[in-house]
Amino acid sequence: MTEASSYIPPGWEYNPAAWSQRIPIVLLALVGFAIATYLSLYQLDVIDQVWEPFFGDGSETILNSKISHILPVPDAALGAFGYLVDAVTGVIGRTNRWKRMPWIVIIFGLAVGPLGFVSLMLVVFQPVLFSAWCTLCLGSAVISVLMIGPAMDEMLASLQFLKRAKDHEKVSTWKVFWGIDSEIDKMNE
Amino acid sequence: MWARILNIMIGIWLMAAPGILSYETAAAHNGHIVGPVIATFATIACWDATRNVRLWNYPLGGWLLLAPWILSYDYSLAIVSDMLCGVLVLVFASVQRKSTGKYGGGWRVLWK
Repeated sequence: MTEASSYIPPGWEYNPAAWSQRIPIVLLALVGFAIATYLSLYQLDVIDQVWEPFFGDGSETILNSKISHILPVPDAALGAFGYLVDAVTGVIGRTNRWKRMPWIVIIFGLAVGPLGFVSLMLVVFQPVLFSAWCTLCLGSAVISVLMIGPAMDEMLASLQFLKRAKDHEKVSTWKVFWGIDSEIDKMNE
Repeated sequence: MWARILNIMIGIWLMAAPGILSYETAAAHNGHIVGPVIATFATIACWDATRNVRLWNYPLGGWLLLAPWILSYDYSLAIVSDMLCGVLVLVFASVQRKSTGKYGGGWRVLWK
């Protein structure tokens, strides 16, 4: 068995941690990061205007709304941080990380999931609370939703691996989760 | 895949319909809330490992059939639109694509 094919999880047909699987998600996260950074620069008054091709003063209404400033930092800055976490946790680790670094895959999955959920909530708030739409906010939400599906397969591979560790009598799931090599080697996978 | 894309389009329609058909109040809020959620679930279901998320649109499709009567819409075009969307969402969400991969037993094995 070649090294690469041994990284395919048991019962799978491809390796969900392969770079071809991960790079598109990281690129999406970087685009999201760029959009959210731009919007937060507007919210922090670094730039005076925001690009809005379709909805008139919609973007301004949304980006200056109470909800967007409910936290000490503007919501777009928080979004930018979220995308950065997605990109960084998407890049860290080699192509066997679903079993050698389960913790990073789980953090990656947990970062992508809630970011998508928060984006969805903000999309609902736009028309319901403020009767306005914000083009780039919608674009950012589309990106974060697009990331969920492709990120979840790797999460699944890691969770299945942790489940096998849990069912294994002589292995500590905790140590496997943190990627302790000597513990993972005991599983003979 | 085509069924997922159609449900995404229905979700977007529900978001846009209040503006296009110019109706307000509860009917508009309902579309603005349910539309993005349907589109999100359908998008996540585009990927093979999470294709069962399509089923999460069942309750939302069902809700669209009830919403006009529970929220007592006063605009008949909104009633027609939501009822029609509800039926279509239920139909498209039930379209099952043959799985292309095995995924080591899928999410189900995690609870065994």
